[in-house]
Amino acid sequence: MIQLNNIEKYYANKGIKNYVLRLVTTTIKQGEFVSIMGPSGAGKSTLLNIIGMLEEPTYGSYEFLGEDVTSLNERKRIELYRNHIGFVFQAYHLIDEMTVYENIEAPLLYKKVGSSERASRIADLLDRFNIVAKKDLFPNQLSGGQQQLVGIARALAAQPSIILADEPTGNLQSAQAEEIMTLFKKLNQEDGITIIQVTHSEKNAQYGNRILHIADGVVKEDVAVG
Amino acid sequence: MFKLNLKIALRSLFKNKVYAAINIGGLAIGLTAFILMLLYVNHEESYDTWSPQLKDVYQVREKHSFFSPDNEDHWQEINDSRMANLVRENIPQALAVTRVTADWGFSSGYSVKIAHADPVMVTGMKDADSSFFQVFPYEFLQGDSESALNAPKSVVLKESLARKLFGTEKVLGKTLKVLMWRNDPGTDLTITGVVADPVTPQSVGFNALMRTGEEDKVPESAGNFHYCQIYTKLNQVADTGALNQSLLKIYTDYQKKSLVQRKLQYNEIYKNGKTPGLKVIPLKDVHLNPPFKLSWVEKLRPVIGISIFLLVVSIINFVNLATAQSVQRAKEVGVKKVLGVYKRELIAQFLVESALQSMISLFLCVVLIEVVLPTFNHHFNVQLSFWLNPQLKTMLIQLIGLFSVVTLLAGFYPSWVLSNYNPVAVLKGSYESGLKGVVLRNGLVVFQFVISITFIIAIGIMHRQTQFMSNKDLGFERGELVNIKTNYDESFAEKLRKIPGVQYVATTTQVMGNAFNVPEEIIYKGKQLNMNTVTVSMDALPSLGVRVLQGRLFAKTYKQDTINTVILNEAAANLIDKKPVGKSYSIKDGDKSYVFQIVGVIKNYHNEGFDKAVLPTIYKVTHLGGTSSTNNLLLRLNTSNTGEIMKKVQSEWKQAYPDYPMEYKAMDDVFADVLKENNRFINMIVLFSILSVSLSLLGLFALSTFVAKRRTKEVAVRKVLGASNLQIINLLNRSFLLLVLIANLISWPIAYILVKKWLDGFAYRIDMPVYPFLIATIVSLVVSALTVSIQARKAANGDPVHALKYE
Repeated sequence: MIQLNNIEKYYANKGIKNYVLRLVTTTIKQGEFVSIMGPSGAGKSTLLNIIGMLEEPTYGSYEFLGEDVTSLNERKRIELYRNHIGFVFQAYHLIDEMTVYENIEAPLLYKKVGSSERASRIADLLDRFNIVAKKDLFPNQLSGGQQQLVGIARALAAQPSIILADEPTGNLQSAQAEEIMTLFKKLNQEDGITIIQVTHSEKNAQYGNRILHIADGVVKEDVAVG
Repeated sequence: MFKLNLKIALRSLFKNKVYAAINIGGLAIGLTAFILMLLYVNHEESYDTWSPQLKDVYQVREKHSFFSPDNEDHWQEINDSRMANLVRENIPQALAVTRVTADWGFSSGYSVKIAHADPVMVTGMKDADSSFFQVFPYEFLQGDSESALNAPKSVVLKESLARKLFGTEKVLGKTLKVLMWRNDPGTDLTITGVVADPVTPQSVGFNALMRTGEEDKVPESAGNFHYCQIYTKLNQVADTGALNQSLLKIYTDYQKKSLVQRKLQYNEIYKNGKTPGLKVIPLKDVHLNPPFKLSWVEKLRPVIGISIFLLVVSIINFVNLATAQSVQRAKEVGVKKVLGVYKRELIAQFLVESALQSMISLFLCVVLIEVVLPTFNHHFNVQLSFWLNPQLKTMLIQLIGLFSVVTLLAGFYPSWVLSNYNPVAVLKGSYESGLKGVVLRNGLVVFQFVISITFIIAIGIMHRQTQFMSNKDLGFERGELVNIKTNYDESFAEKLRKIPGVQYVATTTQVMGNAFNVPEEIIYKGKQLNMNTVTVSMDALPSLGVRVLQGRLFAKTYKQDTINTVILNEAAANLIDKKPVGKSYSIKDGDKSYVFQIVGVIKNYHNEGFDKAVLPTIYKVTHLGGTSSTNNLLLRLNTSNTGEIMKKVQSEWKQAYPDYPMEYKAMDDVFADVLKENNRFINMIVLFSILSVSLSLLGLFALSTFVAKRRTKEVAVRKVLGASNLQIINLLNRSFLLLVLIANLISWPIAYILVKKWLDGFAYRIDMPVYPFLIATIVSLVVSALTVSIQARKAANGDPVHALKYE
């Protein structure tokens, strides 16, 4: 599903190249649950951003679903966002002016899903995540764990084939974190959604089935779990 | 999706109530000023557009130097009545030509008497020949355009006047008795038609159109003239240029012939660059090009400029606030981008938001207009309305246009900034906007303040000039002086003199409120000089209370005063001789020459606005060399009990002229009228500057709030490091005060140039004072410091723990 070849990312500063990523080559298949781990500043987030096409690599090639997406025009990229990729953020990033219901509905509106279909999908997600009672609340009326549930529901609404999560539990207490990770595992196993997450926590990484250890921009280890 | 965007827009408006209010309120104020101006412009532009047939109607203008204050050639509306026939006979396209009494400007109306009722003054009574309604396509409610003026001594009323006089428009066949001056025996006119009031104003306006027969006559002798306005209806003229060329040729030929008959030399009259001229101009251009006066466009130009400025200032505020506020929406943009939203969709969304705000301001502005329109109308002496406007449709189209322009101007930049946020940066939480936005925002703040400070300086200087004018020595005593609007009649004057408390009764052609200048060329010691001549009665100069500089005033005891003596004013004396008393000059009248002896010099006295210098003037009582007279009967009272005496004067008048109401004005009021136009202008500037200053302060307030918010972390760190509250306030103030200071430096030269230009319009003016500049600087700095400090104090008093934990 994802094929990275010799991905490099550096920032040139006064002629000196500051490498963030060096010669990253890896393949991620459909249905995998990959955790990217490493110390602060190792380049985890940059790698995830490149996979999510939020940043472009300085060098190397990237194929997504068999298509070269190394540098993509806005139109193509947005089509991929609408149909294939769901993002989950550490700080949830729900839109403050929208209710829970509207936040989940937003991607569907952009994908131009019909209204009855929309309603049933949202009802389904609310039900599944047990947040039906919260649907008319605004994000600042929810706890962090609840906000992240909404964030995941939003990412799932468009029925993506892959979810990219940047420290999804970084702001959460451990009980809530456990809940979120269990949810991820369930989504991966039952619905076959590919998940790539960046995490600091060894415990969270154990929920997946593969860990990429990164240090100083280089993939040091690629181990299978469970 | 549109619905959702609208919802988001409304929610974020509610969330930031204060800023939304500032944004919308500010824009509404700017729009109100602009739309008021637009209403006025529309009103002026609507002149003579009440019928499509008016496009074939033209005004005839003759080039000559009569009635011109500077004695130069001008294209005048007031023509020799023979021009009507000239056009009718020589221009094949002329379907009809009509002569209408010229608007002389010093008659306020005629006395109209219906049966035995009390006489009433009716304004706008015009005299015309029988073709008037063949040229002007008025709609007849009673009678018909073909026959209405067929018979002499007929009159056509406008519906409004008919209703006012009779209470109905069914007035055909009734008679009016019209008195044009106070001892006019009166003319009985039969009403032969009633026309509908046109929806838009007319440059040839009237309330009643009479055919007394005066306008039918053409003087027999070539040396006699009757002056009137001439209008013609032409048959589909495509090219007025060609027509005007043939008119000029016809006119030149005619003038040559006519001058021969009058025993004058063509080459003598048309020398030194003077040329004969006759042309037609389309009726729609008449109102735009008044002879001798500034046209409304020229008069309005500063106002148009200011109202556009105000609109720009309010849009700037809007842009500034929206970009500053955009930080709050950055997350939304980032999230939407990764959810798969196109940039143009984002731009559209934010444009919808600014459209929403401008829509609300537009509604607010319509309400504001309804509120201020009565005051505005009163102030500018117009009858404007918004909803009842005949051009409501045009207005609405203009409003929609304005709405789109404002939305685009105000919304485009912020939406562009917003939609350009890089999602990675935004979602990581570091979205300080770049230096570029800051420069632009600061630039806009400076621009706003330049406008406001310029206004403040202008007000200061204008105020000084106004004080200077209202306290200026006029050269005559305006208290206890009354001017009755009538010409001098010795027997009536004698009756008034008998009233105790009346000191002098006199007449002059030159007094404030009604000055009539007769240019005359005198020869003094072989030199030719242009002077202004004023005919006065014996007592006129003492009754005005002028001051004598040399020699004496006229008096009955000097027999010579009714023969050939004159008095000069200072301006004239300066032209002639430092010590002119006892010397004499001559004037030439055809072959004859008259000699006048100068017996006195008086101090200049003001008889027009302060924008005009007092003309070099000769005052004379004698009939030698011709006299002139206008409707001025001066009454000098020697008591302050004016009301009591005027009652007695009134009753004398009623006995003498029962069919004509008396009109008079105290000179104090006349002087107030002279200052009025200027005061009106200054009031407007004051109003505009209050608006502009408050808009700028609102903008500054909102912007400082955001800066304070944005620098919360910096403030917290500094506090932890030991900065005092005052130091923090200073820190936040500094950058804004620098901007205001820069704005001051820029506005000084601008204000200097603009105000200098305004001052130059006055012949009597103050020197440019320095202190308004200093005051404007101090005021602007203090007020902005206070404004910023409100926010800075809040930031300084905040608990640093919150700000630092926030990460």
